[in-house]
Amino acid sequence: MNLWNFYARNSQEVLGLVGQHLYLVAISTGAAIMIGVPLGILLTRRPAWRGPVLGVANVFQTVPSLALFGFLIPLPFIGGIGATTAIVALVLYALLPIVRNSYEGIAGVDPAVREAGRGMGMTDWQLLTQVELPLGFGVILAGVRVATVVSVGTATIAAAIGAGGLGVYIFRGVAVVDDTLILAGALPAALMALAADGLLGVAERRFGWRAT
Amino acid sequence: MAGDVSPHPPSPSPFGRGGAQSLPRCLGLLALLLGGCAHRDRIVVGSKNFTESDLLGEIVAQQIERRTGLPVARRFHLGGTFVCHRAITSGQIDLYVEYTGTAYTAVLKHAAVADRDSVYRTVARDYAQQFGLVWGKPFGFNNTFAITVRRRDATRYGLQRISDLARVAPRWKAGFGYEFLERADGFRGLASVYALRFAAPPTAMDLGLTYRALAEGKVDVIAGNSTDGQVQALDLMVLEDDRHYFPPYEAAPVMRQVAIKRHPDIAAALAQLEGRISDAEMRRLNALADVEHRDIATIARDWLRASVP
Repeated sequence: MNLWNFYARNSQEVLGLVGQHLYLVAISTGAAIMIGVPLGILLTRRPAWRGPVLGVANVFQTVPSLALFGFLIPLPFIGGIGATTAIVALVLYALLPIVRNSYEGIAGVDPAVREAGRGMGMTDWQLLTQVELPLGFGVILAGVRVATVVSVGTATIAAAIGAGGLGVYIFRGVAVVDDTLILAGALPAALMALAADGLLGVAERRFGWRAT
Repeated sequence: MAGDVSPHPPSPSPFGRGGAQSLPRCLGLLALLLGGCAHRDRIVVGSKNFTESDLLGEIVAQQIERRTGLPVARRFHLGGTFVCHRAITSGQIDLYVEYTGTAYTAVLKHAAVADRDSVYRTVARDYAQQFGLVWGKPFGFNNTFAITVRRRDATRYGLQRISDLARVAPRWKAGFGYEFLERADGFRGLASVYALRFAAPPTAMDLGLTYRALAEGKVDVIAGNSTDGQVQALDLMVLEDDRHYFPPYEAAPVMRQVAIKRHPDIAAALAQLEGRISDAEMRRLNALADVEHRDIATIARDWLRASVP
């Protein structure tokens, strides 16, 4: 199969694109966690915000990536062409599973356990950090896992806005009717998704106590 | 996409309860499905994922409907040359509109030449031999790559032809679609024929986004299509290919031989469209869809009524 010849001849370029892909996924998922987890926790304290916030996160999922890029190009700071725009789009796509699972993880903690904590005189902060977060961690991690795996796949669209990544091979292959090029991009992306899923699955089993 | 019509009948659930009654019903259903497959007189028209291809697909579809009376199914906006080619060679669609230069360089992988007739002849011969596909007569217009800049830049730096670009290129940024960057008749050849050297390697991005990026000043030169409606709407200017670098890209219907043999009247209906759409006419039709957001089916119907009575 000439896929291996292709990799042998372009090893430098392949590694560069894999690096860009990892960078896009790491930065965007990291940012989505830093925004999404506190937001999800906030929703357990402000139940009235739950509908609107999850609604907005849902809407982002339904906006096609090219349309989203079109909106982002004219914007200062978060727009333009290149990695920034791609990362903003990937963060928006990753938010929903993280926010939702953070909310569910905390809200799903047994009320009796929470009452016991309160009875012991815990403050809201202590209750969160010592009871709710440890108990809800498995569910939150499951959300992060879904977001990461999806991001590895979605990051291929970064190639549409000049941000590189493995999507470059896929776009080039689709443009010139070349299976080898498409596979050259799709195969490492698939392996990366499987690896991310496996690693986070292990972490989930190790740290996850399910609150029932 | 085209494959979403399942060949399997929906599994009948009442197995086990009242099996004796449901068996004849199953057989009846099966016969109905087989019968439906046997006289499959439906023509499936595809198109690529941009406005012009959708428009031409709709014109072709309506022309077949009104001249032959055959039912036509539309599988439009498929993901580009690659997907359309796969769909037609595997029999998922019966015809779509392709461009001679694209078939010549991107599908058949020939090196680019600029002679209209020899490109058409080669493409027609090779498609018949390799894929069992027939090329119909071209519609008349040539949708070539259009090296496009902002009009105010063109005025300011006195740009009219692509060769004028060499002067300003070292200070400029280019943004191109993947197809243009990758194709034999794309950027690499253009850069060497016109001795273009840009400040940085061109940014690779989605073709549809390049217009936006150009209008917003994020890049300075793009490669669009000469029949695009946006050129006037966004106040852009197309530079002349003064060294005749690009091959001809004449649009024509590509059809499966088996479908044409079964329904020769389709070829006759499409032959009536030969030479009917000029460059300016195609640009006008594209602008109706892209700029004025008119419905594609309406544009096609009005055009057919007025131009091919």
